[in-house]
Amino acid sequence: MRERWTDHRSRSLATLLVVLSVAMLPAGAVQSQDKGPIVIAVPVGLSGVNSVVAPAVVQSGELAVEEINAKGGVLGRKLQLVPLDDESGPAGAVKAFNTAIRQHKAHTIITMETSAARNAGAPIAERAKTLFIYTSFYEGRACGKSLFINAWVPEQIVPPLIKFMTDDKKVKKWFALGSDYAFGRGMIEAAKSTIKGVGGTILGEEYQPLQQSDWTAIISKIRAANPDGIIYSTSGGGPNIDFMKQFKAAGLKMPVGSLSIDELTAEAGGDAAEGVYYTGDYFTGLDNPENRKFLDAMRKKFGAGLKTPNSLSEPEYDGVYAHAMAVEKAGTTDVDKLVQVLPTIVFKGPRGQVQMNKQHHASLPVYLAQVQANGKTKVLKSFGLVDPGNQCPSLK
Amino acid sequence: MFTTQLLDVVTTAGVLYIVALGLLIVYGVLKIINLAHGAFLAVGAYAGVVTTGLGWNPWTALLVAFVIGVAGAALVEWRVLRGLYARPMDTILATWGLNIIVVQLITLYFGREIRFAESAIGRAVNIGGATYSEYRLVLLLLAVVLGVGVWLVMQRTQIGIVARAVIMNEELAQALGINTRLVRFVTFGLGAGLAALAGALLTPLVSVHPNLGVPWLINAFMLVLVAGVSLLNLALAALVLGGAQVLVSSYGNPVLGSLTIVILAVIILRFRTITI
Repeated sequence: MRERWTDHRSRSLATLLVVLSVAMLPAGAVQSQDKGPIVIAVPVGLSGVNSVVAPAVVQSGELAVEEINAKGGVLGRKLQLVPLDDESGPAGAVKAFNTAIRQHKAHTIITMETSAARNAGAPIAERAKTLFIYTSFYEGRACGKSLFINAWVPEQIVPPLIKFMTDDKKVKKWFALGSDYAFGRGMIEAAKSTIKGVGGTILGEEYQPLQQSDWTAIISKIRAANPDGIIYSTSGGGPNIDFMKQFKAAGLKMPVGSLSIDELTAEAGGDAAEGVYYTGDYFTGLDNPENRKFLDAMRKKFGAGLKTPNSLSEPEYDGVYAHAMAVEKAGTTDVDKLVQVLPTIVFKGPRGQVQMNKQHHASLPVYLAQVQANGKTKVLKSFGLVDPGNQCPSLK
Repeated sequence: MFTTQLLDVVTTAGVLYIVALGLLIVYGVLKIINLAHGAFLAVGAYAGVVTTGLGWNPWTALLVAFVIGVAGAALVEWRVLRGLYARPMDTILATWGLNIIVVQLITLYFGREIRFAESAIGRAVNIGGATYSEYRLVLLLLAVVLGVGVWLVMQRTQIGIVARAVIMNEELAQALGINTRLVRFVTFGLGAGLAALAGALLTPLVSVHPNLGVPWLINAFMLVLVAGVSLLNLALAALVLGGAQVLVSSYGNPVLGSLTIVILAVIILRFRTITI
């Protein structure tokens, strides 16, 4: 820009003035914004299907913001967290993203959402040149210039679990089942391709409608097939417990790997899910200094109102930190600069080391866990950093 | 395999029968479909959560659920439904509205997250060479006991005779001096009590959340449409439709299986010549 301008010195004074005044406009706007806080919007499912987990997401974000502000903020500016309700769906997400960008002048959106809500919101953030860090595990392959993801995709969670059950539990013949919806089927597809890769066979594959809570027919099929082990992926929450209760009441005893259970659900189910193996990137029982510090700080800040942190809520904390570090390093909230800088940021948080440098996705520490007799989850071992694979080949 | 499938069929029928019984009784006497049936199922399920949470014996949950169901229904019949019997369409709105209110109240107090009730029986037994869930067998037994119990009440007691009179011809019954208002009151209470009882009986099979009643309500609704007001027809419908669901799920897949009840109900209704 500057070179061309010097080439045209002979232009009239009037043109020069027009150019100068136009050039001044955005500079003035940036300056006035520089004084205020850096606004991070969190459009999350405060109502609807995500309303169980949404409060925990907001709490994770609030803690990160409080900690960063206590140390003087970023570039001398405070961070401000604005939680918004995306109603767990695309229509609500469109409203929430527009409110975040137009009304709250959000610099960045950092949130956990349903995939439908993310797909609706991401283009709005992209058009408004707003950085969007998505903190929910999901089915994979969501790509955008200003979209970054710091949670797991199936490639990171499924193969370690299948390989563990094959090697340590000697499962060769499998029975795969799930709830009949995109994510459940996607996870089972990933499991099947891993099973084939390690030389296992699949004796049966069954899906159950989302509303149906009686697993009788599928359980009878499992009994008839008599597999060495089970891999399942229901929809989140209750269906995990429905299936496990009925599975056990039927007297079946083979090892079970779950692609859909989480700590809160397992605990709510008491002994129903005892023995179930599952993999994940975050567990409250992770024994590292960052996680202990995180959990202590959460307990101190929220006391009795604390919503138990989990693998859907903790990445929000990492996301706010990674964003703050990127802004500090870039010296600006300008999205084009942040997109360059963010992949170079390494944040060592409660999950372990997280860096969003794999086509806007992150290699993540993956752990194996097992549900205990009291419903609590015990972390058995770590698989180290697991690569997300080729998620967005068109992005660097 | 054959024994297991036979057991699947009869126990599924048993569960459906237990769930639909309260709805059928209310439909028979009051001529209304109680769309709050699902909410009463949820109330019973949460009664199970609370009682076992207090450390009480899981079987006491049944009694607690029944009592709470009857009490809640008495209040609703007295304050809401009584004025609406002349306007059947409005009772659909009223009971569905009630369903939403009850589900929201449960959500406000217990939250949306799933809850867990201790099961009385969690083991499997050997029967006819097959290992099978003992609890499902107990449910089948309870379905028979409840069915025979309600049938005996209807056939052999004064209350039953009065109720049958109201079912057959309400105006005539009224003319004979039968207090139909009381009959309605008692029947609605009993129906809702049975729904809550069914909810408590379901908790060892499924996890508890505020909306757990909705899918069960739909199946129960279909069964009652097919069965009309006869207890025997209800048992038959549960066996045929529930059995078809199990068999289609076993030999086809569960997605088709879940449609079976609805599709069969529509076909049966289309070709059924006897009207009730």
